[in-house]
Amino acid sequence: MTHSRFLALALLLAASLAFPACKDDDDPKPQPPANEGEVITTLRYTLTPVGGGAARTAQFRDLDGDGGTAPVLTYDGGAARLLLDKTKTYTGAVLLLDETKSPVDTISNEVLEEADEHLFVYKLSAPTPADLLTITRTDRDANMLPLGLETTVAPRATPGTGTLQIILKHQPGVKDGTEAPGDTDIDVSFGVEVR
Amino acid sequence: MLLPAVGWAQAPVSGSVLTPTPASVNCGLTLSGQVLDHETRQPLPGATVVVFDAATGQPVPHGATQTDGFGNYHLHDLCAGAVRVKTLFVGYADEVEDLRLTRPTVINPRLHPTAVQLRSVEVRGARPVAPYTQVAAELSGRALDATAGQTLGEAVSRLAGVTVLQTGPSIYKPMIHGLHSNRVAVLNNGVRQEGQQWGQEHAPEIDPFLAQRLTVVKGAAAVRYGSDAIGGVVLMQPAPLRDSAGVGGRATLVAASNNRLGAASVTVDGNSRRLPALRWRAHGTGRRAGTTATPDYYLGNSGFAETAYAGAVGWAPVAGRWGTEVFYSHFATRLGIFAASHVGNLTDLQRAFEADRPLQPYEGFSYAIGRPYQHVRHGLLKATAWWRPAAGGRVELVAARQLDLRDEYDKHRPRNNELSALNRPELSYQNTTSTLDLTAELPARPLLGGTHHATVGLSGTYQDNTFRGRYFIPFYTNRVGGVFGIEQWSCGRWTAEIGVRLDRRDLQVERTLGAADNFAVLRNRFVVWTPAASVGAAVEAGPHLTVRATAALTRRAPAPNERYSRGVHNGQYEEGYDISLAPGAAPLAPETSRALNLTLTAHDNPRLNGELTAYVNHIDQFIYATPILPPVLTIRGPFPSFRFLSTDARFWGFDLSGTYTPAPRWTVLGKAAIVRTRDLRRQDYLIFTPADRAELAVRRELGRPPPGSGPGGSPRFYAQISGQAVARQTRLPANYELLDYRAAPAGYALLGAEMGAALRLGPCPLDVSVAGTNLLDHRYRDYLNRFRYFSDEMGRNLTVRVSTRW
Repeated sequence: MTHSRFLALALLLAASLAFPACKDDDDPKPQPPANEGEVITTLRYTLTPVGGGAARTAQFRDLDGDGGTAPVLTYDGGAARLLLDKTKTYTGAVLLLDETKSPVDTISNEVLEEADEHLFVYKLSAPTPADLLTITRTDRDANMLPLGLETTVAPRATPGTGTLQIILKHQPGVKDGTEAPGDTDIDVSFGVEVR
Repeated sequence: MLLPAVGWAQAPVSGSVLTPTPASVNCGLTLSGQVLDHETRQPLPGATVVVFDAATGQPVPHGATQTDGFGNYHLHDLCAGAVRVKTLFVGYADEVEDLRLTRPTVINPRLHPTAVQLRSVEVRGARPVAPYTQVAAELSGRALDATAGQTLGEAVSRLAGVTVLQTGPSIYKPMIHGLHSNRVAVLNNGVRQEGQQWGQEHAPEIDPFLAQRLTVVKGAAAVRYGSDAIGGVVLMQPAPLRDSAGVGGRATLVAASNNRLGAASVTVDGNSRRLPALRWRAHGTGRRAGTTATPDYYLGNSGFAETAYAGAVGWAPVAGRWGTEVFYSHFATRLGIFAASHVGNLTDLQRAFEADRPLQPYEGFSYAIGRPYQHVRHGLLKATAWWRPAAGGRVELVAARQLDLRDEYDKHRPRNNELSALNRPELSYQNTTSTLDLTAELPARPLLGGTHHATVGLSGTYQDNTFRGRYFIPFYTNRVGGVFGIEQWSCGRWTAEIGVRLDRRDLQVERTLGAADNFAVLRNRFVVWTPAASVGAAVEAGPHLTVRATAALTRRAPAPNERYSRGVHNGQYEEGYDISLAPGAAPLAPETSRALNLTLTAHDNPRLNGELTAYVNHIDQFIYATPILPPVLTIRGPFPSFRFLSTDARFWGFDLSGTYTPAPRWTVLGKAAIVRTRDLRRQDYLIFTPADRAELAVRRELGRPPPGSGPGGSPRFYAQISGQAVARQTRLPANYELLDYRAAPAGYALLGAEMGAALRLGPCPLDVSVAGTNLLDHRYRDYLNRFRYFSDEMGRNLTVRVSTRW
């Protein structure tokens, strides 16, 4: 009597709780990523000569995000580094893209909208000669602090090479025009040659 | 009135099992212990202990005695079989415990002072929580009460050999003998907790206020608890449902000064007078804390808000052969993550480390929780049915379903306004687990001059894990089927135990590649058989000394994160072994652990008692994270990068805990733990090993001795002062600067104190205590706290606890 009652109870429990486990159709299947998060996949730095001429570009692209396939650095014309003419001055513009989205999301527009929370920093490391080129940020946010989406790049007359590091700092509420506060959203380096 | 502290097992051994008692059954058993006041922990001299035969209800031969001047009792020449042990003392409720005597047994009854009306409380519990031959430490009664308001991890770290892996002031993961996460099983009311255990900053989603007892099984306990419990098991056991008519309850309030924590918990238990088989419980807890303060500054955004509730309904006819129970618990927490710890790349980290205080605008105290934070919810539905056949033994079926949701929010919302308005978590996991366990305990039988009894079980698990947002671990399903058997034999002072288990784990992993237009799913399947075996023996080497030894062989299948994680989590890039495997290469193999454990326990001595455990655990193919050099480059620059690899490792060490009573009502408590690790392939130390530690406390109890003063007697007080010392970890792998962002911090010593009183509020007992930690407001950092890179530990903290029962 008690035995059968126990069995009935046991079967009921097993049925109610364990059965979903047997149905494979219930498994959620992986879906394409929802367009909810933000991933910066691409940074393109375009240098247009003042007074005309072919623009120079350098691009950092990591379509699968952190890890996995290594990011790809490309320069226009398949060059090994960014080639600048020592006789010209360039206007620089940074374009940031999220290419995991369809259509592609232009993150640099959002940076511009929130200019007072962002700061681009341009650094030249190991330049030979030391005064290879000068980079000046030409745009400012509402608080008259530099932003750096737009720049002027002026190579010196002497040829040479170096590494150009572009950093985007996210500084909501703490932006003071210096690099120190906030978090790093972008930190990429390109080879550069002046000739 | 609170249900007395009688053990409640995961797979309870039945109370009044009718055991045939033929002449061949062992009749040389001892039953001993100490009778204590539940509230004051004072020994009760002159209490009566009587042992009844469970079948006939008659006292057994040699079955009655009185406690001596220290509250100790000893009964000798008892026969094996089902017995009921009744403890009586004037002014206290009778305490009754049913158990099956198969070996020398220690029971320490804790008597509750009776309220105005004398009520008899009867609890049919079941003793052996952990395998008897295995070392286990527990927190219950006043020691557990002293942890009220803390997390599960903080509470169990009071036990020798247990440390915590900490993420700031609110996230604690238990670490047993140097092992943690995937290698420690946590049982929430008898059901294996399943969620995202792999994460170092993913704490167990459990409300410890529900526990009547927290037990830590130290060392591999895979045969009973599943094949990945290489390190040990943490058991959270609620009190059994009330089985005497009436309604009782317990309420606890906790307030702390440092983070202005407030916690309240209420449990109400009932048993129907008209339907004595019907028992029920309702439980609710809320915990809220604001910003934690170190001696010099606040840790901005370190508050948390937690709510938990649980309910249970049971039906078990009084003295019947079957019973059933349905239990539901829900736990939800929102944990702020100290903002300065959520850094960008390696450069940001360096900048954070070089600053001696966190790089953030000054923030004062606040209860607000902003980004970054975690939002975790865990629900458990459990249904149990048990049956005791007339022939003896016990059969139990447990079916459970758990849903674990974990959302992690990054420091910043997406810049895109539409995405930002959604305010989605950047990492979001959902894990659903169904388990079914059938356990049968066979009736005890005579064997080779002693008694043996066997337990066999079947268990099945189906688990499904999905995520939304950023990839870190894949979609997976895990199907586990297992069978185990444990055979225990006791004869006189000896007990031996053999267990075997076999599990089949079928892990299917699904990873996504690309976005909407070039989307693909990669599937992998791993079927792993994981056998486990253990052999143990225990001997009562004397009336006050127990020696236990166990040897265990365990295999653990790699977890999904060890195979297929990829991404940045907690400011570091991590990837599984299999995700970056060259085509054709062999995937990650299971770990094999061979462990030995030896424990000496001195118990029921008038002055010096204690326990010493020595262990060694040799793990082949030990899976651990090792740095990738050069670090992985992302668009945010290089991150500290780790990949799971395997090596052969050895863990060994000692735990020591003891109490000494130099004079009546003075107690000296001490404990110490040492863990040593070795990477046997590289002949080097392993990273993140707990440093050596020791603790010493002196306790004084005051107030009139209890006899005659039970009900409404004068208050009893206690005061304790304690010191804790933790050494600097100096046994570090070579080239440490490449493995860790920062060197191991200096050792530290902390001063603590606690005092409390057992008062009465009308007919109800009222326990009040005040505890202070880090009284000298010492600045320190702990090697196993992930926030040691950014900030000091919590400064001085005073905690007030008030609890009552009715």
